[in-house]
Amino acid sequence: MRLPWTRKGRDLFKPATPVAANQKDLPSLSEETGVIHLQRVECRYPGAESSAIKDFNIQIHQGEFVSILGRSGAGKTTALRVIAGFEQVSNGYVTVGGQLVGSSFMHVPPDKRRIGLVFQDYALFPHLTVAKNVEFGLRHFDRPERSSRAAPVLKMVGMSGYESRYVHELSGGQQQRVAIARALAPDPVALLLDEPFSNLDRKLRTGLRRDIKRIVRESGTTTLLVTHDREEALATSDRIAVMGNNCIEQIGAPEDVYENPSSAAVAMLIGPCELIPGVFRGGVVITEAGVFASRVTGGNTATDGEQVLALMRASELEIEAASNNYQRTATVESREFEGEFAEYSIRLDSGTILRVRRRASVEIQVGSRVRAKIRGGARVIVFPV
Amino acid sequence: MNVYGVMSSGWFSKDGKHPPAFLLILASVVTIAALIPVVYLFVRSVSSGSEWTVIIFRASTVEVFARTFLLIGLVTIISVSVAVPVAWLTVRSNIPLRRVLSVASVLPLVMPSFVMATTVIEIYSPKGILQGWLAVFGIDRLPDIYGLAGATIVLVFMTYPYVLLTVRGALRRMDPALEEACRAMGYGPIHTFRVVTLPMLRPAIAGGALLVALYTLSDFGGVALLRYHTFTATIMIQYETSIDRTLAAVLSIILVFIAVMLLIGEGLTRGKGAYHRSTVGVVRIAPRIDLGAWKWLGLGVVGLPVIIGLFVPVGVLLNWLIRGLFNNQDLLPLFTPAMNSLYVALLAGLVTVLSALPVAILAVRFPSRLSRFFERSTYIGFGLPGVVVALSLVFFGINVARPLYQSIWLLIFAYGVLFLPTSVGSIRSSLLQVNPRIEEAAQGLGRSQLRVITSITIPLVMPGAFSGGAMVFLLAMKELPATLILSPIGFTTLSTSIWSASSEAMFARTAAAALLLVVVSGIPIAYLTLRGYGDEFNNSVNVEGAAR
Repeated sequence: MRLPWTRKGRDLFKPATPVAANQKDLPSLSEETGVIHLQRVECRYPGAESSAIKDFNIQIHQGEFVSILGRSGAGKTTALRVIAGFEQVSNGYVTVGGQLVGSSFMHVPPDKRRIGLVFQDYALFPHLTVAKNVEFGLRHFDRPERSSRAAPVLKMVGMSGYESRYVHELSGGQQQRVAIARALAPDPVALLLDEPFSNLDRKLRTGLRRDIKRIVRESGTTTLLVTHDREEALATSDRIAVMGNNCIEQIGAPEDVYENPSSAAVAMLIGPCELIPGVFRGGVVITEAGVFASRVTGGNTATDGEQVLALMRASELEIEAASNNYQRTATVESREFEGEFAEYSIRLDSGTILRVRRRASVEIQVGSRVRAKIRGGARVIVFPV
Repeated sequence: MNVYGVMSSGWFSKDGKHPPAFLLILASVVTIAALIPVVYLFVRSVSSGSEWTVIIFRASTVEVFARTFLLIGLVTIISVSVAVPVAWLTVRSNIPLRRVLSVASVLPLVMPSFVMATTVIEIYSPKGILQGWLAVFGIDRLPDIYGLAGATIVLVFMTYPYVLLTVRGALRRMDPALEEACRAMGYGPIHTFRVVTLPMLRPAIAGGALLVALYTLSDFGGVALLRYHTFTATIMIQYETSIDRTLAAVLSIILVFIAVMLLIGEGLTRGKGAYHRSTVGVVRIAPRIDLGAWKWLGLGVVGLPVIIGLFVPVGVLLNWLIRGLFNNQDLLPLFTPAMNSLYVALLAGLVTVLSALPVAILAVRFPSRLSRFFERSTYIGFGLPGVVVALSLVFFGINVARPLYQSIWLLIFAYGVLFLPTSVGSIRSSLLQVNPRIEEAAQGLGRSQLRVITSITIPLVMPGAFSGGAMVFLLAMKELPATLILSPIGFTTLSTSIWSASSEAMFARTAAAALLLVVVSGIPIAYLTLRGYGDEFNNSVNVEGAAR
């Protein structure tokens, strides 16, 4: 579903004329720039020792759902605020809807960018009703039109009938829906979601996540979500951008990033895993936990005899009982029963703990000696040290 | 679009947010206006030449200095020791009539010092009412009430609510888990109070004590009636009796100096633990402690200040009024002063709140060296006694702003300078409650900074603006010295007519005017107490109030 007024009123967005000392410095403003395009963006807060984001590049296309995944403090929220216009960039270029909106020499204020932003704590207006909150961004329309435009959006988020309520009369999940409706009502160029589920309990989170995905699909809105929750990022997005310290490490389809992480840091962020040291030799990696077939990813290379880090994912590991005669065995430290599956912790002789996820049907006793294998002929990913 | 690279010195912006020009302009106009009295006073004194060093080091000046400090010290210490137990008992214990008493214990705030002083003289003077009752015990003469003793009584019982309000606010904000943690570690209630509660209350006590000290420094009516000549009283007498006003100006400078010393002193007690924004959600309310039979003693501790500070003076006033009515004293001349009082006080409230808004918004939302300078400058009225502001504005009116002289606008100006900090503080704490993301959300939805301020910020700080305005109204109603000096000839207010009626011993008229003043100023106080003034930092009351 496309909202009825889509594409209308775009002229409200008055781009500022760029004033560059040297026109060659300007990025190309062709159609290919995407809805949101950040090039080599750096943002340093005044007085801060280092930049919150640096050399930050991302390009988001029309109708795409992209997530930025990163640890807290990685600069995710700063990136969002740069796009929305609440922070000024000290270097690089920010274009929104094909227009340059931010660089070291110019800054279009947030109210001129037509970006919908949903804050972590929703930031609904406490002195206004639900309807007035949603109509807030529709100031350019006359009164009756405002409510006729707000109504379908409220319906879409499932909040029809709550129009005259005040914000504090709503539950957290309902507030979240209103916040999304408010951001979508003015038909923004893009929707930015800043950790939208972090204040909700787990059960509500999953339901709302599906709903939001459906809502933005229906409205065809380009969406950028920022989160530290890997499941959230993997489940919702068309593409996922993994953020290391203040810049993007890898960007791609969730499956691709999961299968082919470009670095150990990305792998650690994208899935529960352990990294153990090993030696790469002739297509295998020799580690304390065993000798496994291995592969390198994302343009990395490993030469024979090189020290590497092997990525041990709980879901790819399997264990079987072993006698002490074998080399490279481990002890079962604990077992956590989860229903169909059970998660085992095994302790290697060096003290390193690995997690193994296997079917719960055949139980292995805590304290017994086991040998680790890789399930179903998979290859262990190794990263050069 | 802007070129900001050159301005990153921190003068205009600390966090990269640049304030809109209109806010800067409005705030600087307010700041300049607030600074006029002090600056003009300095100019005036320095231009008087070598005289001023002579005046400062005269023996009589030093004596007045000592007398003033003695009174400030006594009043502050006693006020704090009265207020802290009252605060604790009304918030944390189960004393009888707790709710009634929490409101009543603040009410002495409405009593102007000069009204309180006249009633104190009536009761406690050597041959007063109290002596009449004590005659049965063979006491035929009480010690003299005039001087230090009387002045202390009056000021303590009318200023302790300042400490009470700040301490009570802090007690309500305090997370009970801290005390519980201490108890869980095996310490008794008294030790807990000493090592946890009291240190947590220290900033609140210091803040309230500062208000008490500054009030004592600037009071004129009470000390004058009780013949205890502090700096303020001396300046007033100088101003009224001599033609050369240089002396008054020079003495005023010393008064400003003392006020600044008090402000710095309070700043030193604060340390590093400045201001903590409470986390999301409502602070859990601490359970009330059952005092058992001790609660009757608690009732006495809370009740006594209310009796001395409110019931006794009001009783005396009623007594005078009734006696006067039997003697057919004419009360009609009070109508005009009452209307005048209402008019100027309401106007003062409005003007002050409007001036405070840009300063407070700039200070909270666009922190920078400049906005901090603006905010601090408006706090000057806090430390400026009414006499000083009034005198300076008289000079200013005569020499610079002639059209304003002898108009009520100069009076409103003085009230504005004096009471601006109250409004700025009140709006500021209201704004600190408002999540800045809310304003960003509004801007993200296409509103310019100006429109965000009018459609979001101002509606959300309305509760704070209201309490600020109510407080200014109350203070302006009670204000005496500046009103005496700056009222246009023939313009009388309730406070000036109480002053003149009491010096002419027209008891019924004094009583009627005073009761009227107490009732009218009681309205904003009741409103503020019910809203939990001094409790501004606390939870969502403001936000929910705004939603209604």
